[in-house]
Amino acid sequence: MRGARLALAAAVVVAAAALPFVAGPFWMGLVTQMIVFGLLALSVDLLLGHAGLFSICHGSFFAVAAYTTAILHVRHGAPTLLAAPAGLLAGTLLGLVFGLAVRTRGVYFILITIAFGYVVWGVAHRWSSFTGGDNGVTNVPFPAVAGMRVESHTEYYYLALGVAALCALGYRVLIRSPFGLALRGIKGSESRMRTLGFDSNRHLYAAFVLSAALASLAGVLYVYYNRFVNPVAASFPVSVEAALMAIVGGSGTIVGPFIGSAIILGLRNWVSSFFELYAAIMGIVFIAAVLWVPEGLVGLAARVRGRAARA
Amino acid sequence: MTTSAILQAINGTSLAALLFLVASGFTVTFGLMRVVNMAYGAYYLLGGYVGLSIMQATGSFALAVVGGGAAVTVFGYLVDRFLIQHIGQNHLAQVLLTVGIAFVVGDVALKIWGGDSLKVPVPVSLRGAMELPGGMIYPTFRFLLIFFGAAIAGTLWLLYTRTQIGAVVRAGVDDREQVSATGINVDRLFVMVSALASFLAGMAGVVGGAFLTLYPGAEWEILIVALVVVIVGGLGSLGGAMIGALVVGLLDAYGRWLLPEFSYFVLFGPMAVLLLFRPQGIAGREA
Repeated sequence: MRGARLALAAAVVVAAAALPFVAGPFWMGLVTQMIVFGLLALSVDLLLGHAGLFSICHGSFFAVAAYTTAILHVRHGAPTLLAAPAGLLAGTLLGLVFGLAVRTRGVYFILITIAFGYVVWGVAHRWSSFTGGDNGVTNVPFPAVAGMRVESHTEYYYLALGVAALCALGYRVLIRSPFGLALRGIKGSESRMRTLGFDSNRHLYAAFVLSAALASLAGVLYVYYNRFVNPVAASFPVSVEAALMAIVGGSGTIVGPFIGSAIILGLRNWVSSFFELYAAIMGIVFIAAVLWVPEGLVGLAARVRGRAARA
Repeated sequence: MTTSAILQAINGTSLAALLFLVASGFTVTFGLMRVVNMAYGAYYLLGGYVGLSIMQATGSFALAVVGGGAAVTVFGYLVDRFLIQHIGQNHLAQVLLTVGIAFVVGDVALKIWGGDSLKVPVPVSLRGAMELPGGMIYPTFRFLLIFFGAAIAGTLWLLYTRTQIGAVVRAGVDDREQVSATGINVDRLFVMVSALASFLAGMAGVVGGAFLTLYPGAEWEILIVALVVVIVGGLGSLGGAMIGALVVGLLDAYGRWLLPEFSYFVLFGPMAVLLLFRPQGIAGREA
């Protein structure tokens, strides 16, 4: 079993490294996008799959990070070494503020994060003198650090892949740490964890801020890939689709959100090439995911394997 | 300055009337069945578009209002019966499911009615402006909307507090199992309440379409503001929805007037502060 998993992991690494040699620029762009949104879905799933909180404002951290990096580059000519960390910081700081939402649970938490998310969208949309309004901020350069610069989308793909792999490793350490286990405990039974002396609000707040930081990192990666950012990045569909990706792929796992991102973005690209009503198709995907694969594809695969093992 | 301030107060109150129509359904269906229905914005838009088509075909505004509401009632019933009742009490599933429904409705509506901003024509007798006491000129339709909203709110309030059905609904909000145990079919009750809520949302779409216009994306804008109304007022409370609608309507009107670029802050900032001190809203109870 362990050997099979290692072999699978090795095969994925080789395939990922070899991809640019077989795929054209269109596919490379799409795969990079899948990685970026997979990271965003992973950040949402830190709360959803491990702490039991359903946040619909992660587009905000994503967008604030993207805007900060873009504005520093385009208007102030800042170097990547300043602009990228600044974007990460800005999104994380917003997470410190929005994290106040962990004072609530359940439906209140969902509704409040939706409202928070809308503030950011509203500011991006209306404060056009600073954010560029609906046109957003354009002409963001590729990243360059100390003489090394990304020159093509293929090179950027490797960068995004490397960052995502590091994040996935860090994430694995985090969710297996005592902190990660405490989060799982809170998800399972908050009152019991409280009785055991855990300060659940403080744990959830920390998880929220970490999750915001990861969403911000995805935002920074996004703006370098996309080369511009507009209010769409902060919009409600981005936030809720990130949750959908995590659920379709398999909530509470690490590969799940990436698989979900690949499926959703792949499907959208495919459907929109021949069918006008692709937003309606996305809606049907939402409905179908809830009705038929509530535990995601990873969960479905585990169930099928379990059944096969018993048979 | 004072004239503008008063005009904004009237603007805010008429917006509040509209918001109440959308928020009241959301809050009571949530209170009764713990169902989070994010498709209410789409119900609003759908009702507005259907009403617009009826108006264009028949020329009757009253028929458009009733028809828009009726169409959404049927649609809402189908959604409740065949989708929402299958997924149980899981809020995450409810949100994703109803967001999906809203996406489908929005996209199909875009295909049928197009992407332009459309305005439901107001009947001739309500067109134009009227002179208010003090010499102010104000659009007749928007002014009358305040009374329309107040009449609906009053009717709902009487229904909720003074009738037997209202008493059962209130009891259901407090303790569903207990009501169920007395032999009342809570599921059927929910279908009735939900149908009324859908009707109100569809009707709000026609009325709102006459002064806010209908366009793709309007479903989310109205939903989010209605959610703020519900959060401020307290989930499950009809009285809270009334207070919340007034607070949000007035804040929005003054925000747009005084700080146009930050009007969203003006709307959501006080909500965030309220939350810190009273997470359950003004009139809500612990969830």
